[in-house]
Amino acid sequence: MWDHVKQALVDSTTRFLTRLANFLPGLAALIVALLLSAVLAWILAAIVRRILMSLHFDERLGSWGFSSLAEWSPMKSPTRLISRSIAALVILSGFLIGVAAFDFEWTYLFVQKIFAYIPDILAALLVLFVGNVLARFLGRSVLIGAVNLNLQYARFLSVGVKWIVIVLAFAMALEHLRIAPGIVELAFGILFGGIVLTLALSIGLSSKDLIAKSLERDVKKASTEPVEDPLRHL
Amino acid sequence: MLVSVREGDPRSLEETTRDLNVEAEPTPQPMNPTAEQIGSADLVVGILTELDSNALAKMCDALSTLPSPLRIAVLHDDQQKAAASVNSETTQERAFVFHVPSLLAKPSVPTTGIVGMSETYQSVFAAAEKLQAQGCCIIASKLEMATPPWAWRIAQPLFESQADLVLPHYARHKFEGLLNASIIAPMMRALYGKRINNPMGPDFGVSQRLFQKMLAAKVGGNHLNALASLTPTALCQNLQIIEVHFGTRSYPPTDWSNMSSVLADVLAPVFVDMERNAPFWQRTRTSVPVRVMGEPHSPSDQDSAVMDERTMVESFQLGNRELQEIWSLVLPPSSLFELRKLSRLSIEQFRMPDELWVRIVYDFALAHRLRTISRDHLLRSMTPLYLGWVASYARDLTLAGAMSPERRLERLSLAYEAGKSYLVSRWRWPDRFNP
Repeated sequence: MWDHVKQALVDSTTRFLTRLANFLPGLAALIVALLLSAVLAWILAAIVRRILMSLHFDERLGSWGFSSLAEWSPMKSPTRLISRSIAALVILSGFLIGVAAFDFEWTYLFVQKIFAYIPDILAALLVLFVGNVLARFLGRSVLIGAVNLNLQYARFLSVGVKWIVIVLAFAMALEHLRIAPGIVELAFGILFGGIVLTLALSIGLSSKDLIAKSLERDVKKASTEPVEDPLRHL
Repeated sequence: MLVSVREGDPRSLEETTRDLNVEAEPTPQPMNPTAEQIGSADLVVGILTELDSNALAKMCDALSTLPSPLRIAVLHDDQQKAAASVNSETTQERAFVFHVPSLLAKPSVPTTGIVGMSETYQSVFAAAEKLQAQGCCIIASKLEMATPPWAWRIAQPLFESQADLVLPHYARHKFEGLLNASIIAPMMRALYGKRINNPMGPDFGVSQRLFQKMLAAKVGGNHLNALASLTPTALCQNLQIIEVHFGTRSYPPTDWSNMSSVLADVLAPVFVDMERNAPFWQRTRTSVPVRVMGEPHSPSDQDSAVMDERTMVESFQLGNRELQEIWSLVLPPSSLFELRKLSRLSIEQFRMPDELWVRIVYDFALAHRLRTISRDHLLRSMTPLYLGWVASYARDLTLAGAMSPERRLERLSLAYEAGKSYLVSRWRWPDRFNP
């Protein structure tokens, strides 16, 4: 009886030590990979930052019409955003290399799945970025247009339009990431419809007289004088 | 479109008809020669406005009194009216009528506003170049019965005084042409150092030297707006500019509720030109008057325009409340603070100081250059500020004992000149110099 217990203990210890011996190199490899990738990330980030700063990237980005990116960047510097993103990518790559060093079936599958998922993540990020830029642009357009039309609810309209686009972009990003697609679709439909209905009701009910007058004025203007001629102001 | 070859033409009617290979008919009929068949002209007159037959005939008569014998080609895009006019009794003895559909080309892409006008101006320049004209005149204002001599007044300095650019000086009512009077004219005066009243015309006389420069710039890929860039180009090249008193120009009533598109349309090419010519205007310090011809006129009748100052001030107040996030990207804190103070004033007390208005215009020009935000958004967001200045100007002029519009606008022009050092500092050091 005791021999059996002893044998089982020895076997268990041997298995544990064997697995530990198998695991430790992988762990060491992970730590080394992480350390190396951190150093590499720091060097790459510094190089990229220096290159972009020497090119006056932040100012040029503003002149190319992407000034809104600065507001989303750390310390309002798109250069820092890009250099830190590159560093994060390098560290993530180092982590995946380290994880792949474990000679296990699940780590292999995990890394494979992560790599297969990367295009979806990038596409979702792109959708979010474009959606955000578009939302801000449209929100600003609506705000300026509504103020110039003397509409008192200009801000409300602008925020409504902005959030409609952001919600749309967010839903599209989640769709790309395949995260609960059914729920996202349903929730988006409800939310989008709700926002549109709210806007329509609030504007329609609170300012029906104003809109009627405005439409009447526009119809009159259209029949008599279609376009404001810039030459008359010179 | 029409070309009338005037008295003094070295070729006779028979020669011209033979050249054109067209059989002469007892009753004058419009013919359609090409530019090659026309050969050359001394002066090209582009009529870019609706003109009835009587006005066109009178204008041709007036042009025929120019001192030296000239071949004058008149381009007009309304063929029916034009043909009728030059076949009238007034001109049939001295003019031959030819339709030249290819000379005044329509824009390739349908465009409106200043961009479309610019393309049409360029087509007049191209026609003048094709006909090897010594100069060209452009009439774009709507002409009344009393104004056909305008073409003559524009053309005369081109040939008698060797002017390179002839600009109009209209007698206008106090609330007309305010975009020019409040921004374009005083800013160009401060920038380029020449006191010009209507730098953007829209009626011009242009010498061969100047229109060739404009055409060369277009060929070289330097897209100048013919309407906005003509005067700055002449100023930067030190060409001779003459202003001519034109009398009253008729303006249709202004729609003050639809100003944003006009501001964006007109100011965009002005600010682009300002950026292009920055090395030149940063060297200019003071302003001098340009040579003026003709007798000054007073506006023909009483100004009947009514300004709704209350609505304008309310627009300004709404803009100040809602557009702070945009204005704060463009204006320095001191200007924003002053605007906030202004927005709290009642309509009776509302006054926008010229110094503040000038700084606002300069800051918007700088933001346009730096592309702080979308340029269209930028210029449209200026509308409430412009309406605020117009309301303030209107109150200044309507009060008892108010100064004349000329003196009021002169004061504004001086404010622009005084504020130029601010502009130069902001232009050179947009980040460092932020009062």
